[in-house]
Amino acid sequence: MANSPKIHEKVDVVVVGSGAAGSVMAAKLAQGGKSVVILEAGPEIKSEDMHSSQIWARRLKWGGSPVVEKGDQPIGHGFNAGWGTGGAATHHYGTWPRFHPEDFSIKRDHGKWLDWPFGYDELRPYYDRIQREVGLSGDAKAEIWRPAGDPYPMKPMPTFAQGRIITRGFEALGMTTAPTPLAINTEFYNNRPPCIWDGWCDAGCPIGALANPLQVYLPQAFKAGASIRHQSCVTRVLTNRTGSRVTGVEYMDQLGSPHVQPAESVVLAAFTIQNPRLLLASKSAKHPNGLANSSGLVGKYIQSHTAATVFGLFDENTENYLGVSTGQLINQDGYKQKQKKGGAFGSFQWTIGNAKKPNDLAGIANTRRDLFGDDLHRFMGRAAKGLASMTSVIEDAPVRENCVSLSGKKDKWGIPLAEVTHNAAPETYALWEHVKREGLEVMKAAEAKDIWLGGYGALHLAGGTIMGESVANSVTNSFGQAHDIPNLVMAGAGLFPTAGGVNTTYTIHAVSLRSAEHMIDRWSEISA
Amino acid sequence: MAIDRRTFLKMSGTGLLTYKVAGISMMLTPAQARSQGLSYQVLEPDEVENLELLGDALLPGAKKAGIAHFIDYQLKGSLRDTKLTVRFLSEVMPPYSQFYRQGLSALERVSLEKFKSTFKGLDSAKRRALIKAMASGEIENWEGPSASLFYFAVRADAVDVVYGMEEGFETLGVPYMAHLNPTKKW
Repeated sequence: MANSPKIHEKVDVVVVGSGAAGSVMAAKLAQGGKSVVILEAGPEIKSEDMHSSQIWARRLKWGGSPVVEKGDQPIGHGFNAGWGTGGAATHHYGTWPRFHPEDFSIKRDHGKWLDWPFGYDELRPYYDRIQREVGLSGDAKAEIWRPAGDPYPMKPMPTFAQGRIITRGFEALGMTTAPTPLAINTEFYNNRPPCIWDGWCDAGCPIGALANPLQVYLPQAFKAGASIRHQSCVTRVLTNRTGSRVTGVEYMDQLGSPHVQPAESVVLAAFTIQNPRLLLASKSAKHPNGLANSSGLVGKYIQSHTAATVFGLFDENTENYLGVSTGQLINQDGYKQKQKKGGAFGSFQWTIGNAKKPNDLAGIANTRRDLFGDDLHRFMGRAAKGLASMTSVIEDAPVRENCVSLSGKKDKWGIPLAEVTHNAAPETYALWEHVKREGLEVMKAAEAKDIWLGGYGALHLAGGTIMGESVANSVTNSFGQAHDIPNLVMAGAGLFPTAGGVNTTYTIHAVSLRSAEHMIDRWSEISA
Repeated sequence: MAIDRRTFLKMSGTGLLTYKVAGISMMLTPAQARSQGLSYQVLEPDEVENLELLGDALLPGAKKAGIAHFIDYQLKGSLRDTKLTVRFLSEVMPPYSQFYRQGLSALERVSLEKFKSTFKGLDSAKRRALIKAMASGEIENWEGPSASLFYFAVRADAVDVVYGMEEGFETLGVPYMAHLNPTKKW
């Protein structure tokens, strides 16, 4: 006989997920006087759990129900998603450039892809406030491509040997580099210490130099009265009898006992894949195609930045163990002009001089997957001293058929698994080829002795519950409110109609801040 | 198995895996687990043997570094606790023990068909040729998980145990620079 669910006391807001978006939403809503419960599917993660080890780092990555991946460009969910307090933001690399104005109006400007329901100018004040609250380091003057915005509150990170060596390649070609804008302290800021440049970001930053949710917005949320329940896996979003409003969520705890958390509103911040999965799995007689899916667009337009990596071996000591997991420097010369030769379309950014460890997916050994045996040992010895690398973040065309759907297989709670189909559009392939060619030229100009390309990689998932003007072209309005259900709010990069050619975490924070403040302003309309 | 206090203290400082040795919970490196002859939880003896041979062919030293214990230990835990690279491979669904078992079984079958020898009986040149074919994914009569994925995963495991811990960094002359040493109990 099935257990009857434990019914909790009703709250104003239940936030599903404790990552970048969920933590901002929870903090701002709690600070705005709302009662907030965060339901986090994964375990509690504390700073002292962040062991400096690429082997231990895997525990911060997805550990939930398997995601079935299809298509010629898989999204790499297992590496990109998170599991536990802070979600993917707990293992993110702190690369925080802004989206550019041209990212928001591609359909208007080029007659293709999608538009956002607002432009950069609307989002700019939120970027400025977030950077003050979180603390960003960078050099706004050197970052010549940066859109208008307040100067960074902290000086940029230092450039180490690897960054200097690759930069000479860019300079030889008349290209520009600038220190990477980072959500990583270069000095004490808001009671968090500066980074010691040891390159362990992927394993989580236990000292708090890198701004993850455990360091910034979750403590604020708790201080304002929010609470969190870990190992609480939401299985369904609940609605009233007419299906016009959500009333809370069902979830399972780690012992397999069912719970119901009633709420005036539900914020889904469970990451790009799980949000649409939950909506589709919450279908009912009133929502036969999935919750909030009268547009037919729940799960559609899944995007994943392509990563192109170029490696060079130098006789010089590149000190590649120093720095941060992302690059020390960026180049965005290829950003503004989206239309490129040969059918390539989109923006891209180089992150230059990534700190390397010997093992793991981004490690030294994996840069030459063909080598094994004594050849691998010899390579490791050489590369530990002389390897340099740069990685490009390449914009992905939003393709409707790239989507999340429900698999025929189910998880241990009986919920269908998410199945993600992702194929790159021809213009994205062409852009990838363009970027690879440029990267090889740079490494050659830097006078690397051996140069080679890495294989395809996937970064930064977006789409799936896109925002827009109306139900004709989107799932939510510009504040993440579902068109169909005003007290159901989506948060995270799943809202992004296009994902730019830069890392998304800063924009996730800015959009979430805007959405949270809208919820507070319009609370009387949102609440039942 | 009797173990003195000094040895216990020496062994339990820098471990990755937790074993019960003489009734005492100890954190051991995979290499220590192997040198102590600790029993396997999931893999059968012939699977262990081939896994060690494969590991050593992929990266000499992987056997002594405890690749079989490293993999075996992870296979008995939950997905969330698995620290194997295979968890990143979207093509591979848990349980991961199936992936390793089927991969090792496919390896043995191909060795017998192609060279009329067990994998253990191959000389280094033939073993290398077989692995090269696995890596390319173009290997005849392979029936199991993708050969190139299996190569990728076991190679990654070999790199983990040989180079992924402090001793491995030291052999490469790379400063480890830990914030928190990976010595905490599970």
